[in-house]
Parts: sequence; structure tokens; C-alpha cells
Amino acid sequence: MPQTTIYVAPRLAGTLGTIPPAVATVELARLFGRSAALAGISLTVEMGRVVALLGPNGAGKTTLLRICATAIRPSYGFLTIDGIDALQQPELVRGRAVYLSHATAHYDDLTAEENLRFAATMFGWGEREGWPVVREALATVELESVAGERVRTFSAGMRKRLALARVLVSRPSLLLLDEPHAALDAEGMALVDRLIGLWKDAGVTILVASHQAERVASLADATVRLEAGLLAEVNGAGVVAGSVGASPRPRTAVAAVDR
Amino acid sequence: MNDLRRGLSVALAIARKDAISELRGRQAAGSTIFFAALVLLLFGFALGPDSQRLALAAPGLLWLAIVFGGLLTMARLHQLEADDGAFEQLALYPVDRRAIYAGKALAGAAAMLVLGGLLLPVVAILYGVPIGGAWLPLLGAVVLGAIGFAAVGTAYAGLTIRMRAREVMLPLLMLPIVAPLLLAAVKATVASLGGDPLGELGSWLQLLVAFDVIMLVVGAGTYGFLLED
Repeated sequence: MPQTTIYVAPRLAGTLGTIPPAVATVELARLFGRSAALAGISLTVEMGRVVALLGPNGAGKTTLLRICATAIRPSYGFLTIDGIDALQQPELVRGRAVYLSHATAHYDDLTAEENLRFAATMFGWGEREGWPVVREALATVELESVAGERVRTFSAGMRKRLALARVLVSRPSLLLLDEPHAALDAEGMALVDRLIGLWKDAGVTILVASHQAERVASLADATVRLEAGLLAEVNGAGVVAGSVGASPRPRTAVAAVDR
Repeated sequence: MNDLRRGLSVALAIARKDAISELRGRQAAGSTIFFAALVLLLFGFALGPDSQRLALAAPGLLWLAIVFGGLLTMARLHQLEADDGAFEQLALYPVDRRAIYAGKALAGAAAMLVLGGLLLPVVAILYGVPIGGAWLPLLGAVVLGAIGFAAVGTAYAGLTIRMRAREVMLPLLMLPIVAPLLLAAVKATVASLGGDPLGELGSWLQLLVAFDVIMLVVGAGTYGFLLED
């Protein structure tokens, strides 16, 4: 098995030396048109925890992850990442919160290696120091032999592996993984499990959305189930929910506020 | 100083990746140049065989062909980002967004420059315009025009990338804004080809420089907001 080095962001101390939560949301809601993808979620996640986000299609898992990644802004509510106000200072959150999305976000006409070197530069690696980091990440996801081939020729699973390699060249304190097992073969899925273990050991907080409930539950400290944009169930250690179960404002009611 | 160096390396990395994609996707870049050359040919047919009239119209037609080809180029450079959801990833990297704009604009300007450089000899041959003696001021006009067009085009391509009718919206939004650029570039080209008897070349080039600076500053300032959802 190739050697895998995990790079992490330096920890931030909170006020008076306290440790801030990795993620804290207050009544987080997001509307798309008139329907609410998230209808008010209050959730606090301790640093270093692995949390499985479960729930049916359209439950709001991806929306929650994208808001935490600062890819989209919530319609209502507050969000802090490592104690940083993610809505006021999203530029401080980027780089700390690293998002693995459905879309693999590669450039088709670049080779795997060129794609990864580009990502390494964007994550702040210098030309010389980034080179071994890229090589090692390619070896970890077992794409070394095709490093010089254009991504256009890659299968869905290979693209996913390359996206995982991009996460490996980042320096996160919070990982937001959206269906990391999707499109991967059995070996690839085992690789994801191994990486999640390594990130966890390095103290990285991980939110992982998945339909493979059993698989991610076995890796996670806690599970959070979303349904129709609300918290339906929270189990395990390191996660505190604001309002579980009871739905103070159903979907349509939140949508009505916007009109 | 460190921030500046980091911004520069980010901008260069983005421009480099776009350049590699353009060169490897030869088909698209090649068809754009072919399309612009075809536009020049058709204008030639429309104006008829009168060589004097053709030479008179040449500067304006050259810049119209550059604009048409440029619109395609600008759209394509952002299409690269849209294909696999890369635009969102680009927005999430921990980098100054002005550097992202600078990188995309640099790639755009380089592509425009190649387009302009290739169309100049086409104009010279098709319309019988001698460009040999005026190549330096002509080059200046093309370089400044390319920078200005890319400065505006990058910002608007970023704006329209999420729109459904982006192919139509990009020219619709962009053409009115580049009108002063087109005017100054055509006048500068006319002055260069005519030997600049009225000494107006300098003023038109200055106008181009001013346009470029303003559009680069505005583009860099607004592009960050375009990356937001």
C-alpha cells in the first residue's frame, strides 16, 4: 500500500483558549425558488468528529454541505466553521473547509497530473514542494499509471479517484464529502474508507453524505438523518442538534416567508 | 508582497491551464479562426470587387471579424469551467478572486491576440491592404484591443455562465460595452494604415489604454461577486 501523507490546516483557538465547534449552524435554511431545500437546521459538530449525513433524495444533504463549503449562501440562519463566521468571512473558510462534490470538476483536456498540479497550486503549494505531494496523491488513488493521460478518456470511477486526490493535496480542517463512494468499485470504496480513517486520525472533522447508510455509519461517530430539509434524527457522540424531530416550520411555511 | 506573488502564480496557473486546453482542443480554436476568416471573405463578396472600397472598409471589417471570433473565444474559455462543474470548484479555492479574473483575462487576451494576429494577413490579402509598413502601430492597436475585449469578455462570460441562454446573452450584454473599444480600435487601425497624416493615432491608442485600464479594474472588482451563487 502506498504511503499517504495527510495535510491539515492549523487549528484555530476560540476566545479564551476554548475550542470552537467545527461546524455550528443556527436555523440554517435555503430556498430554491419557492421550495425549501433546507428548512431550518440547528446543528453543532465537535472538532475531529466523523458525522454521517443520511436521508432520502431531496432531503437537503447536498445543500447543507454546499452551504458549509461556502459554495452557496443560506437564505436564513447563521453558520460558523471552526469559530469563523462563514457568511461574513467566507474567504477565511475556503481552504479550511474542503468540498468533494458530485461533479468531479476536472478539465477534460488536461492530464490527470496537470489537473492535480493545478489544484495544488490553487491550494497554495509552491512549484517545487507541490510536486511530491501530487505524485504521492496520484499513487494513493492508484492513478499513477495513467497520470499522463487526458481526463477525457477516464471512466467515472477514475474521475472520482482523481477528485479524491485533489482533496489529498488540500489542507483541510473540515471535509465535506458528498457521496464519496458513488461511482467507485469495491477497491475504490475501501480506499475512501481508509482515507476517511486517516483524515479522522489526523483530527479532521468530516461530514459525509451518503446513501450507503451502513457503510458510513460504521465509520462515523454520529449519524444525522435529514428529511424534507429538517433534522429527523441525531445519534452518537460529538453532535448536538437544536431541534430534532419536531418541525416548527414545515417546508411550505418557510417558503411562504419569502413571498 | 507575498500575496502579490501568490496572486501572480495563481493567475499564471489558470492562464496556463486554459492555454493548454485551447491548444489541445484544436478543433474549437481552429474553427473560430476559420469562422472569422470566412466573415472577412463574405464581407468582401458583399462589398463587391471594387478594390478601393474594399481597402477603405478593411479596418472596420477586420475589427468586426475580431469581435465575432472573440465572442466565441470568450464563451469557450468559460465553457471549460462549466463542463464538469469546475467553476464552483474554482470559486472554492482559497485564492484571491482578482487573481482568478486576471488568469482568465490573460488567457482571453492571449487567444484574442492570436486571432487578431492571424486575421491581419488575411485582411491584407483579401482586401489588398499593404500592412508591411504600418505593422508596429497595427500591432499596438491589436494588442490593446485584445486586452480590452478580454477584460470585458471575461467579466461577462463569468456573469452569463450560469444562464440558460448564455450563447445569446453574452453578445447581447457585451457588444454595447465594447462599442467605444471598437470605435477607437478601428480609428487607430485607419490611422496606422493611412500613415497618420492628422497625427491622431496617439490619441486613439491612449483611449484604448484608458478603456483597458478601466475595464480591468472594474472586471477584477466585480468578478468575485460573479463567482458567488
